[in-house]
Amino acid sequence: MAIFVDKDTNVLVQGITGKFGALQTKLMLDCGTKIVAGVTPGKGGQTQFDVPVYDSVQQAVNKHRVDASVIYVPAPFVQDAAFEAMDAEIKFTVIITDWVPLHSEMKIKAYAKGRDTRYIGPNTPGIMVPAQTSLGMISPSAVMPGSVAVISRSGTLTDEVASQLSEQGIGQSVVIGLGGDPIIGSRMIDILKLLKEDGQTKGVVIVGEIGGTMEEEAAQYIEAQFNKPVVAFVAGRTAPRGKVMGHAGAIIMGERGTAESKINAFESAGVSVAKTLWEIPSLLRKVV
Amino acid sequence: MRLYEYEGKEIFKKGGIPVPQGSVVKAAEEARRTASEIGKEVAVKAQILGGRRGKAGGIKFARTPDEAGKIAQGILGMELEGYKVNSLLVEEKLNIANELYMGITVDGENGAPVAMVSAEGGVEIEEVAKRNPEKIASGLINPLYGIRTYEAINLVRQIGLTERTLTSASRVLCQLYQVFVLNDARIAEINPLIITNEGNMVAADSRCEIDDNSLFKHPEYKDLRIQRIENPWEREGAEGGVNYVDLEGNIAVMANGAGLTMSLLDTIKANGGSPACFLDTGGGLSRERMKNGVGLLLRKARADQRIKVVLLMVRMMISPPDAVAEGIMEAIEEVQVKTPVVAVMRGRTPYQERARELLENSAVILCPGVEEGIREAIKIAKE
Repeated sequence: MAIFVDKDTNVLVQGITGKFGALQTKLMLDCGTKIVAGVTPGKGGQTQFDVPVYDSVQQAVNKHRVDASVIYVPAPFVQDAAFEAMDAEIKFTVIITDWVPLHSEMKIKAYAKGRDTRYIGPNTPGIMVPAQTSLGMISPSAVMPGSVAVISRSGTLTDEVASQLSEQGIGQSVVIGLGGDPIIGSRMIDILKLLKEDGQTKGVVIVGEIGGTMEEEAAQYIEAQFNKPVVAFVAGRTAPRGKVMGHAGAIIMGERGTAESKINAFESAGVSVAKTLWEIPSLLRKVV
Repeated sequence: MRLYEYEGKEIFKKGGIPVPQGSVVKAAEEARRTASEIGKEVAVKAQILGGRRGKAGGIKFARTPDEAGKIAQGILGMELEGYKVNSLLVEEKLNIANELYMGITVDGENGAPVAMVSAEGGVEIEEVAKRNPEKIASGLINPLYGIRTYEAINLVRQIGLTERTLTSASRVLCQLYQVFVLNDARIAEINPLIITNEGNMVAADSRCEIDDNSLFKHPEYKDLRIQRIENPWEREGAEGGVNYVDLEGNIAVMANGAGLTMSLLDTIKANGGSPACFLDTGGGLSRERMKNGVGLLLRKARADQRIKVVLLMVRMMISPPDAVAEGIMEAIEEVQVKTPVVAVMRGRTPYQERARELLENSAVILCPGVEEGIREAIKIAKE
């Protein structure tokens, strides 16, 4: 296992019969993900692509060993779905759903605190361990097995960066989308702490963007304690102030959250910062 | 979405927080009538969604109803800090013994609500934080429990309140937290919170922002959000379910995903090009949303001669390639403009191959990768 999941991880899908849940369950099964059960209240007893469907998470975990859950339920129901996964003592949850209310995000964060559980998202493309498992929608054709971990705040950009690496023959140990919202389950620093101990990961690509202080926090940690080479890219160098750039989290307010602040923090921590997307693989080759 | 002062005060009032007597008006005669109903000196306040209106002449006081009418005449229609003034709040002038600050916002780093109080109200809290940080007390709130009375008391005690003001200020802070929760706010701020000569607390101003992802719970604001977008292109984008931001250059850029779109803009700039806009269609594309996005850029290109080329990049993780390609072709067919369209179709196999196949004989210039697409768009823009 690199971090969180691997080929032996038993996965539950919450919202397995919904439009996105069903489509992505199919795509995950194609990646080899071991989906052992699904949940949709009211559809217990049915199957979806031969996966048994239950009315509740507790019913599913009574019947199956579940190591991780992926949540696809619509935004108004995400808070309850996340609480349900945590109450069933599932150790790792991926919240894919976009447009989750801010107050729900705060409550989920508070609910997870003090429990033996981790989550990524909301508003994430998920996590992919190339050739092993995928919890989410990262394209299998974008990735290849290797030793570079990709951590990103974005969705499609995560996929693109993985492609750029794979096309240059640089494989990945794990590709993780953290989520594009201001409040997410795992911040860059949380992932870096796990990658530090991961024997398979030899280098890291961080794909950040404007808004918040996650990159600065990660840079401080890298400078003080992280011993593997890191290349960073910060999206939004040219974004105007005070405008939300698509992600609720991507906004420059006053002096906070600017690309310059993040780039400076990375550079002073000894991280190489790519100016263009296609610079990432070449910078990585220099340091790994 | 940000609320006007008068809307914020309406939700304060519902939450039990005292606000000045007054009402919102859209004409000078209405202002005069309202002032006469109030029957004492009034404040006439421009309603705009940003800026520092006080310094810019957007807040004035009137002794008589006629004076209120005259002032209203002068402010209505004015441009203040880049916003046109369409409405005014006419309300009783307060006698001020003291001014406080109170606000509940979201602390992104900790992922929790944070309550802030300050003994120095009426000025920007950021300035107080820089100049006199000791005058601010703040504390994180557990969103599962909400603010507890003793937490509120401890906070207001830290800024030096005692006796009756201690209990009444802590009550207002608890009420403000309820307003924050019930309205799914990102920010609920009272600045200043006035203590009158009689010792009463009154919210003299409001700043509230509602979380856009929660508007499904607040139908009263849902349509207003789009109506209030002033830039017509940005408004058209919001109506079509895409996120559009106007920029100054000559390459109109669209992609699916905020990070991807921003990184295209940055990469274009780093290679000597100049983006004309940011258009993020969001993920999980439908044919309709794709068509709305491309159509918006093409109409913009038709209206704005500076735009020399349109660059589309779609990274298909789950977006169906047929819908993507058809959306592009339908928009081009419908808008009829000569501006060249460069398209980069990437993503999951076989999605990317399918989208390229469908677009092969269309009007778009297909490029295999991001680098090729950007270089091609910059080349055309410079011709």
